[in-house]
Amino acid sequence: MMALVRRDLAIRRSYRLAIVGDLLGGLVSLAIFYFVSRTLRPAEGESLAGAPNYFAYVAVGVAIVTVTASASVLLARSVREEQLTGTLEMLASAPVRAAETALGIAAYPFVAAVLRAAIYVIAADVVFGLGVDHPDWLGFAAVLSAALAVIAAIGVAMAALVLIVQRGEAILAMVAFALGFLGGAYFPRSRLPGVLEALGSITPTRFAFDGGRSALIQGEGWGGDALVLLAMGAVGLPLAIALFSGALAYARRHGTLAQY
Amino acid sequence: MLSITRLSRSFGDRQAVCSLDLDVAAGERVALRGPNGSGKSTVLRCVAGTLSPSAGAVSVSGHAAETVAGRALVGAALALERSLYLRLTGRDNLVLFGCLRGLPRTQSERAVDAVVDELELDDIAARRAAECSTGMLQQLVFARALVGDPPLLVLDEPTRSLDEAATARLWGALDRRPGRAVLIATHRPSDMDRCGMRVDLPR
Repeated sequence: MMALVRRDLAIRRSYRLAIVGDLLGGLVSLAIFYFVSRTLRPAEGESLAGAPNYFAYVAVGVAIVTVTASASVLLARSVREEQLTGTLEMLASAPVRAAETALGIAAYPFVAAVLRAAIYVIAADVVFGLGVDHPDWLGFAAVLSAALAVIAAIGVAMAALVLIVQRGEAILAMVAFALGFLGGAYFPRSRLPGVLEALGSITPTRFAFDGGRSALIQGEGWGGDALVLLAMGAVGLPLAIALFSGALAYARRHGTLAQY
Repeated sequence: MLSITRLSRSFGDRQAVCSLDLDVAAGERVALRGPNGSGKSTVLRCVAGTLSPSAGAVSVSGHAAETVAGRALVGAALALERSLYLRLTGRDNLVLFGCLRGLPRTQSERAVDAVVDELELDDIAARRAAECSTGMLQQLVFARALVGDPPLLVLDEPTRSLDEAATARLWGALDRRPGRAVLIATHRPSDMDRCGMRVDLPR
């Protein structure tokens, strides 16, 4: 597994400009919401999880959803590229279990995504000012860490989907966006119609947003969300790995591990 | 070492391989020959464990080829020379696959250095794979198959893009491994001459 992490790190480091571009892209995204926040006022009676302003509320959601969505799409795209170039077939010919392959290919993009989310929120506070009085940064880090397994599970499941349907990037981008949209990245879920609100309340990202906001805005009350995230990860990651293993077996049967 | 029993493989309506039987013992070299589309690469992919048979069985030392135990015994150089990470150097690619074969990193590095030295790939291994020609990549792909010293080598047209010197180094490396079983798909008569047994695959 570490060999695949080192591979991803080495490949990523070979695109230094892209790393800078990704970081700037996240800051630009935050800047847009900062100016939206200065232009529009929240609706009457809207508490925004106790946030002093809309920017403090949305920064957590934007940071998490931006990087996790891009990590999901990046992972799915890289699996597809490996299918086309033939490296996926060579990976599959190595004596490595499907679980190790799944964790190996997901580890770097999702650990990097969670670190980037943390950087964005810190940058949001330093550059724009969140205006929160007693942020619990350790709590925020704990929520992000707890979210890692469940977010990686989503990524591995998406990679499995790509192995089967081959061209799934557009679907994956939509799923990632939906997880943010329904989970309450941009506005309170209570604003959604009934069915969507119910759906949003069970998305894993919802607990990351809620826990992250509790830690940063209220400085407490994030423990329950972190526990739910850990539980979801404990269940979701093995399921996603089983799905990936099944997808690899499917690709072996259908001869689609390599499509050159 | 390798046992193929009534192997058939179809892709949709097209039958690529039909009821092939083949046994390859340790130290034996077998050449698969046949026209384009006769299923040579398909057989090799089934042996490398990246393609499941539609019918029949492929086993390596008693382990089904698709299993982890089966794949651990096979060093594969399949058809596509681009099956390397182009942003990494040749050496990094080889070390990565050494690690994936279960070697600890330092041991993988040592094994790679030995193979690079043996095949005289120092210059090629130091370059990014993206900067290598097709023939250079083919040499790296062959080197990758040797890393970890697997007892069965599966080589798909391994000399297709090689010059004479590189071809000689490849066969020299195989000659220095007399105990290894080798299954080669090839069109070259000179490659076939180096194999003790030839199997014709009809179209």
